[in-house]
Amino acid sequence: MTLSTDPWIWIAAILTLAIFSFLYRENPFYRFAEHLYVGIANGYAITFYWHRILVPSLFDRVGSSSTPLSTKIWLIAIAIIGALYFTRFIPRISWLVRIPIAIVLGYASGASIPRAVSGEIIRQMKATIITRASFANWQSGLWAVIILIGVIATISYFFFSTERRGLLKPLSYAGIIFIMIGFGASFGYTVMARISLFIGRLQFLLGDWLGFIK
Amino acid sequence: MSSTHENIFLRLQRIDRRWIYLVLWLVIMVPLIFPFRIQPRASTPVAQLFNYIDTMPENKALVISVDFTPDTRAELQPMVIALLRHAFTIKRRVGILAMQVYGLGLAEEAIQQVTNEFNSRAQTHEDSVIYGEDFVFWGWTTPLLTVMLGMGERITRVFPVDYYGNPTESLPIMRDLKNYDDVGILVSIAASAMPRSWINFAQVQFGVNLSCGITAVSAADFYPYVNSGQFIGMLAGMKGAAEYEQLVEKRMKNKGMDWGLRNTGTEAMSSQTAAHLAIMVFIVVGNIAYFASRRRKK
Repeated sequence: MTLSTDPWIWIAAILTLAIFSFLYRENPFYRFAEHLYVGIANGYAITFYWHRILVPSLFDRVGSSSTPLSTKIWLIAIAIIGALYFTRFIPRISWLVRIPIAIVLGYASGASIPRAVSGEIIRQMKATIITRASFANWQSGLWAVIILIGVIATISYFFFSTERRGLLKPLSYAGIIFIMIGFGASFGYTVMARISLFIGRLQFLLGDWLGFIK
Repeated sequence: MSSTHENIFLRLQRIDRRWIYLVLWLVIMVPLIFPFRIQPRASTPVAQLFNYIDTMPENKALVISVDFTPDTRAELQPMVIALLRHAFTIKRRVGILAMQVYGLGLAEEAIQQVTNEFNSRAQTHEDSVIYGEDFVFWGWTTPLLTVMLGMGERITRVFPVDYYGNPTESLPIMRDLKNYDDVGILVSIAASAMPRSWINFAQVQFGVNLSCGITAVSAADFYPYVNSGQFIGMLAGMKGAAEYEQLVEKRMKNKGMDWGLRNTGTEAMSSQTAAHLAIMVFIVVGNIAYFASRRRKK
């Protein structure tokens, strides 16, 4: 066991234990560590946005004599529109916040929707289509058939426009089975994820701090 | 059923959850101090990604997008480290960026660790890993749409300066790393839906090859994209990282680089196994107690 002499490691270890103390019960140490985390995270992000985005992309360029006047006007106009987000804090003119929100939503939707249809719907539908190539070997063929049945059965479960009778009844029942298998897989992975995060902290406490792990 | 059994089942259902935390703490901690050997075997998606990078043409670069924050460091940081080790071992150029401000520090930490591992053992200039020649850290900029679409045209326009403030045009690596055409594969290491954005903006528009390393929580959401061929393989959670670490270690040994480097993902697998067994026991015991007490009530 070789205890760390680095004060930062000690601070991180004490804060980790403070957060873990919540497992016992809510307490002031936990609350202190939680608030500190939120504060530092926000401060870090704001600093970065200021130094990496606003200063080089706006203030430096507007202040530079080499920037053309038309670019400067564009930059100032965009900065003013962006600043309208802060009107939320002034109730009388808070409606102005809709302008930047509308621009961002319009831009993001226009750029995202056609690409998402292509990347997430059409390509995924293509992947369920069985072709001769799907049967290159028996395993891939079997999985292709299972995926096709799974997709149809699961979609049929969410088909609420008509009463579940005839073919729809067993199909939607099969859909429930596929959904349950999906939930089971998600739960198993979630357990692994949560345990992993805890392991990460223990690796730090037992390794970097206490020196039990080399 | 005797009243003793009834008491046990009732007590099991009312057990203070802090006892479960304590048991889990011990079950996870003990194998970390006294590990038992677990050698993860590479699953198909992990092997797919490894083989793709391993056989990537020399003139193509690996781009790693660090799209996660410190809260998921335990799962995802080993992936970044393993990918960097792999690329440097087979002498492929690497470009690194972060789509999250908080990912910058994590990316820098991984770069420093891996470059130190290689440069401290380098005998010649050829063996060294040199910034600006073998790899570049572009840093972070926003918004993501501009980054993902802009990199398809000219990377230096999206990142005029790198993370350290050097003009990217002045870096030798950027002469042959102009846009996605020079990228062999882009791997998004993420704890969010960011890999999907890479598909929609970088792949749909420019056809860049993609893969992802994701937290175990989101693994089930991303398997369909591996199945459809939109991702070339995938690393899912700490297990995926451990599997990749094993493949990279084997590759390094084959190249005479048996350095005995620490693999934090592999190191955690004995604790993972013990914790999963414990949780399975909890689930079984909890269900037995529930059904037994319900039968008793009837």
